[in-house]
This record gives sequence, structure tokens and C-alpha cells, in this order.
Amino acid sequence: MTKMKQDEIVQVAADWWVRLREPDAEGETVERWLAWTSEDVRHLETFERVNELASRLGSLDNVSRQGLIKAFARAATPSPRWLPLAAAAAFAVVVLAGAYVAWTRFASGISSQVYASAVAQNRDITLPDGTQVALGAASTLTTHFSHGQRRVDLSGGEAFFQVIHDNSRPFVVAAGDVSIRDIGTAFDVRRTGQRVTIAVTQGRVQIADTNQTPGKAQSGTLEVSAGQLVSYDPNMSSMTIGSIAPEQATAWRNDRLEFIDEPLSVVIANLNRYSARPLHIADADLDKLSYTGTIRTDAIDSWLGALPQVFPLRVNTEADQVILSDAEHPPRR
Amino acid sequence: MATVTLSEHIGDIEKLFREHNRALIAFLQCRLNSLSDAQEVAQEAYLRMLTLDNREEVDSLRGYLFKIAGNLAIDRLRKRKVRSDFVAAQAHDEPVGEATPDRHAMAVEQVVGIRRALRELPPKASQAFVMHVIEGRDFGTVAQTMKLSERMVRYHVANALAHCRAWVDGKEMS
Repeated sequence: MTKMKQDEIVQVAADWWVRLREPDAEGETVERWLAWTSEDVRHLETFERVNELASRLGSLDNVSRQGLIKAFARAATPSPRWLPLAAAAAFAVVVLAGAYVAWTRFASGISSQVYASAVAQNRDITLPDGTQVALGAASTLTTHFSHGQRRVDLSGGEAFFQVIHDNSRPFVVAAGDVSIRDIGTAFDVRRTGQRVTIAVTQGRVQIADTNQTPGKAQSGTLEVSAGQLVSYDPNMSSMTIGSIAPEQATAWRNDRLEFIDEPLSVVIANLNRYSARPLHIADADLDKLSYTGTIRTDAIDSWLGALPQVFPLRVNTEADQVILSDAEHPPRR
Repeated sequence: MATVTLSEHIGDIEKLFREHNRALIAFLQCRLNSLSDAQEVAQEAYLRMLTLDNREEVDSLRGYLFKIAGNLAIDRLRKRKVRSDFVAAQAHDEPVGEATPDRHAMAVEQVVGIRRALRELPPKASQAFVMHVIEGRDFGTVAQTMKLSERMVRYHVANALAHCRAWVDGKEMS
């Protein structure tokens, strides 16, 4: 019975909480609230506990927070899945972009360097600041290092960064619409056209969608930590978060490409960085097939041989190319 | 109101503190969603009360204290927004407010519970609650996004908050 009563107090306390949240709640409202709190010792006590829960929930760690937002706050809004980190994030993007513009405009001592790798050839590089980069096959990286910032553009392919952290000189990787800023980190970035996946193997990074209009509602930055995998889908302008083991993220350095729920088109584009013969997808409806698995870059042919058992497709190996086509469609030519 | 001596005035403020400090802190924590910020702002409010120079025009000291505190809270929220924006943009070099293992463990368990509690509610209630309390969006923004009136948003948030509080209490007791 007292339980019942207590539940009622909780409800009234929560009603008051909501009413007092309004910045214009003053005078009369506050007086009535004060009167309520003095009616019964349990009233203020309960109000304090409602407060306490709200404060705790308001200061959750990022992962839990984003998890809850993802699960509940976007139920009715079919908005992009890029997670808004309240208004703060919009500002962050603007500041980052602003800083970059200022930097390109004023920095005089920028040193740039282009690093590229051939098809089927991984390459290990040490950048001037000591950062270690493992560059995947057929990948291109351009560094723009200045006094105050280290910026690296990944124009295509894949790279694994072990960053020498420097508070005064942030390390930022730009991959298409996405920028990744290190916070004491090792991470892998794979860019397939405008699609970008980021796997953090150590520490944390901050990821921003730089393609956004400032002030737009769906802008934000995302902070991810070791063991997390973020995929940026350019069509939706969205980020999805998953998990990945560090050894999975850098498996390509040992001649294995790992894919988790990636469209077949992305898988093929990445294989083309390693394949002697270019692979083509002839039917667009195959692009969307989702693939999860490991492919040995030195055994692409045997993977292709097994592919028709997994997907409804046909593999035609020709002298200078390999064509994947829909098994349902009549053979071309 | 008659003029009072300084020592009388100080005595009045001390009385105000004794009788209403707890409520003032609760009021401010509600506004600021942070106990430590609430305590800081309360201190500042008392200081303002002590150095009040137009006491004759104030008809209720208690009312005035809460009014000052409310205004200071609004200022604080504004400053906080500027600062957090700045921090979000700049200071990610050090893990800001990184949870200790203990706190993190508690948070995970808590979040699982809250998730379960929120799932028991109508989707609109949990959505409004998450947007306001967890994401920190104001009622107006939530109302716009959800295409509801602000009154309905407040109603949903209050219900969800009460539900979560009761849920957490029930779990802590068992």
C-alpha cells in the first residue's frame, strides 16, 4: 500500500521536474512547487531522486548514449542514421571545418607528400612525424603537414595508421566526406569510392561527416573506441557502428581481406586492388548482395570459384577480366 | 518594507539558506541536470542575495532567491553550451570525463535496465524522453521533431521519467 503511494509521489515529482525544467517557470510555479515539497518529507526526497536519475542519464558515456538514441529517439523519424550528438556536434563540425580553412589559408610551412602503392602490393611507410602507415594495395595517400596540424587525404584504398600522438598537432585523416581525428590511436581506414569504413584497433578517434551543411539538423561527430567499426554509407549520408577485432581490421596486412556485411560491389572494388585480372559485376542487382567473410588475396580465383555456391550468380573468367553476372539472367553474348 | 541593518540582513539570508537550501539545490539540479553545477550556482545566488542593494523593493526574499537562481541557471546553461561546443571541437586529446571501471560497469547495467524500462512504454513516450533527457534537446525541439505539442512532450517525458525511476527503484530493492 505504501508502495502504491510512493509510485504516486514519483509520478507527481516527475510532473514537477518537467514543469520546472522550463526556463520561464518561476514565481507562482516555484512557489507552488515549494509548497508541495513542504507537504511531506518524501516529496522533496523523491524529487531529488528523480533529479538524480535524470542527471545520471544526461551524462551517460557516449556509447550508451548513442545506443539509447539509436534505439528510441529515431523510431518515428526515418532520418539518416548518422547520429546527432545534440547541438554541440553541429558546432564541432563547423569549428573543425573553420580550423581547416584557416589553416590552409595561413599556414606557410605546409609540406605535402604523395604516397601510392601498386595493385597487389602493400606498402609500409613512416611519415615525417614518426606515424606508421601500412598502405594497402592500389591506394593513394597525400600528407599535408604543417606546424599546427597533420592532415592526410586518403583518395582511395586502405591504410592502417599507428599515430604518434601530439596534442598540439592533431592528426586528421580525410576520406571523402568523412574525417577521422585521432585521440591516441591506431586505426584502419578503407575508402571504396565515397564509402568509408573505419576500424579502431587502439585508443579512440573522432569521426565527422564533413559533407554537411552547417546548422543542418542531422549533423554530428561520433567518437568511437577500440574494437568498433564504423561504416559510412554515402547514399544515406549515414554511419553505422559495429564491432571488429583488431586482428580482423588489419588482416589485409597478412593477405586476407575481411568483410563484415559489405555490399558485393564494395567487396569486388577492394579485391580489384589485389587481383591480377580486374573483376566486373555485370548486373547491378548483384551490387546489393551483402557479404561477410574472409578472402585471401593470393587465392582470389578459388574464392571466385566458390562464389556461385553462396550467391545466385555466374562467374565467367576470361583472359583479361572476370565477369560476375546474375544467374537468373540469360548469359550475355 | 522597513530598512534592515546589515547584520539583520545576513541573519535573514542565513535563515533562507537553512530552510530552503535543499529545495534550492533540487530546483537548480533540475534546471542544470548536474548536482555540482547546482551547488555552484546556489552559492552564487546567496552571494547575490547578501549584496542585494534594493532589499526594500523585494517583497519575498525566498521568491527573490529562486528568481536570481533561475536566472543564473539560464546563464550557466548558455555558457555551458558554448564551452561544451568548444570542448567537443578541441579538447578530445585527453579522455574527458572518462568513466572509471566501476562507474562504467554501473552505467552499463543501468543502461540495460533503462532500455528495458523504456521498451515497456509507448514509443512516443520513450522517444520524447530519450530526446529530452539523454540527448539534451529542449521541449520545443522535441515537439517540432515529433510533431506534437510541447504539452504532450512534457506529458510523455514526465511519464517516462517516473516509470524509469520506479523501475530503477524496484530493481535496487530486489
